[in-house]
Amino acid sequence: MSLKDLLSPFYVWQRAFEKPYTSIRPIQERPGAAAYRGFHINISEECIGCGTCHKICQNDAIDMVRVEAYEGRSGDSGLRPRFDYGRCCWCALCVDMCPAGSLRMSNEYTWITSDPTEYHFTAGVEHTTWQENPLGYRRAEGYHLYPPKRIDMEMRPPAESVQSFDEVVLGYSESQALLEADRCIECGICVATCPAHMDVPDYIRSIRDRDYEKGLQLMYRTNPFPATCGRICTRRCESVCPVGIQGEPIAIRWLKRFIVDQIAPEDYARILADQTGGDSGRRVAIIGAGPGGLSAAYYLRRKGHAVTVFESQAMAGGMLRYGVPSYRLPDAALNKDIGYIQSLGVEIRFNTRVGRDIQFSELLDVYDAVFISTGLSLPSSMRIQGEDHPRVLSGLQVLDDVASGRAPGIGRQVAVIGGGNVAMDAARVARRLGAEVTILYRRRIADMPADAEEIHESQEEGCRIVTQAIPVEVLNTAEPGQVSLQWGEAEMVQDPKGGRPRPVLQEDRMHTDTFDSIISAIGQGGDLGFLPGNLQEQLAIEWGKFIPGEYQHTALDKVFVGGDVANRTADAISAIEDGHHAARGIDRFLNPDAAASSDQKVN
Amino acid sequence: MNTVDEILDYAIDQEQQAADFYAELAGRAEKAGMKDILLDFSAEEKIHKERLLAVKAGDHELTPEQEVLDLKISDYLVEVDATENISYQDALIVAMKRERAAFELYTDMAAKVPESNLKEVLQGLAKEEAKHKLFFESEYDDRVLMDN
Repeated sequence: MSLKDLLSPFYVWQRAFEKPYTSIRPIQERPGAAAYRGFHINISEECIGCGTCHKICQNDAIDMVRVEAYEGRSGDSGLRPRFDYGRCCWCALCVDMCPAGSLRMSNEYTWITSDPTEYHFTAGVEHTTWQENPLGYRRAEGYHLYPPKRIDMEMRPPAESVQSFDEVVLGYSESQALLEADRCIECGICVATCPAHMDVPDYIRSIRDRDYEKGLQLMYRTNPFPATCGRICTRRCESVCPVGIQGEPIAIRWLKRFIVDQIAPEDYARILADQTGGDSGRRVAIIGAGPGGLSAAYYLRRKGHAVTVFESQAMAGGMLRYGVPSYRLPDAALNKDIGYIQSLGVEIRFNTRVGRDIQFSELLDVYDAVFISTGLSLPSSMRIQGEDHPRVLSGLQVLDDVASGRAPGIGRQVAVIGGGNVAMDAARVARRLGAEVTILYRRRIADMPADAEEIHESQEEGCRIVTQAIPVEVLNTAEPGQVSLQWGEAEMVQDPKGGRPRPVLQEDRMHTDTFDSIISAIGQGGDLGFLPGNLQEQLAIEWGKFIPGEYQHTALDKVFVGGDVANRTADAISAIEDGHHAARGIDRFLNPDAAASSDQKVN
Repeated sequence: MNTVDEILDYAIDQEQQAADFYAELAGRAEKAGMKDILLDFSAEEKIHKERLLAVKAGDHELTPEQEVLDLKISDYLVEVDATENISYQDALIVAMKRERAAFELYTDMAAKVPESNLKEVLQGLAKEEAKHKLFFESEYDDRVLMDN
């Protein structure tokens, strides 16, 4: 071995002092292009968890996962998208489709970790460095994968609509309905929000499939008043429809109406094929033939129970018939719903008021269960001086008169007091009777509890709305057929305890106007006078309304309650759901052994 | 009534009388659910009484300078009778009117008294009653005037 051989291993040390030939980071970071489709960003506060991203993803790279912070929010599923970057192909279809506009992509694309499970992440919930990245792919403004605007509904022009009580809304044609149905992204947020949990995406799909019979079957699973709700529903479903966030919500109500309008009443029995032949041997009494009572009657009959409905009026429908004018809900549509329910063998005893014609205690003795759904039939009083003037009429009475074919005698100049749906209906009815109408409301238009559509249409039809106007006193006039109203202007003042501003009368800004009649429509309450005092003590009643327990049950063994007299929303769809829910409860009560499977069977 | 203690004793007695009034009416109430509502009113009056007892004991101060919102709802409503058939609307009217009468009483008394500790106490009591009136008027605004 030579000396060179011995020393050669040490020669390598000279390299230790030279510039290295390798680099610490072999790839120099190069930023993605400004619109690069990199890692996802989700603005969780704007996201509503509709799951459209999950549905449209062609690689199944998006799962919807529960995020506690967003659970329980109205119009929000409480879910958020979780991405699997082992599957994502960065196509950005999810971003293009996102109806809330909450999903974007950053221009970041490098992510180094030794833990492969990290590549599953819930955007906007788990911390990432790119969540605040202002660059990356965004859907172009105005670009949508579906038309953001709804198909316009044809309506009678206001000048024509005030000439008659004919229906104002004319309904979709088939081609219009197909186009509108095509906009639905089938997220199902509406199902959770609808009080009756109607299967909206599926019945809308039945339009796309032109299978209207299927649509009708789907609707009757949870709502036996589709012709009615297709016209006057408060449509909370539409208020949460994600398509409405960056456009106009799907016209769910009008699509429901379209389906029902395609089917003749004589075909209902064949299509729905409700089996009511079985006789359970149990009898149920229902007080009130409104939407709550008849909904309960329908689902109870399907379970084979005998049903007798006690109705104080000459016809069924409750406030739908005597409170909603026919230009919004024609008798034919209401009769279509009620007629089918009656055809299942529901007995209705008309002109029979419980407490007067038959005692409540008798119902408890004779029937196995009693469902109370008497609605809100007593108009609230303004309790101002001079209110007992003969020219002061109640809004409910005016609507009842018109529905019953009686002339309400309102005159030519009419004041309507109130901002709810009864006030709007009374005002629009008065216009159809030829009156000049002034609506006085103590707060702002934005505070009106009436449906915004009704407020708008009442204005279109020529009703004048005076806001922040507080009635103070009703006065006699020299003319015998007239009446004067003293009212004062109001200022909206912030409530120190929070909540919406409250109107405060400005006593230096008073006015007196003369009218032929004043229609008071400031609200209505329930009439519980039919209940014996000793039973009232046992029922939970707060501020004139029942407080129902589970399945609409009360503390009284046989008694269930529902509808406007037992809920805070006081709309038809809530009453319908109350009736359905009570039917489940009554069936469980009558068949405790079968209770476990009851929910699925009643439907 | 010439001393602060005498005035406070009077006000405390008035709150107790109000609590008794609603409790007695609750015992007679016939309409569904009214008993509980009237007992709630009675309990509210007892809270007012406790607050005044705390003032007398020096544990709580009146706030005569505090601005209290006046919704003026009760000012233009008719008088109603506190019968056994009373409705919740009328029960609120009775309550609002009673608080309004108490507010006016202390306000008038304060106006007749020269600047003194006694005047401040009367003004403070008036503000207390104004707050009670606002409580019931807010209830009326929320529950009765929903559509108006």
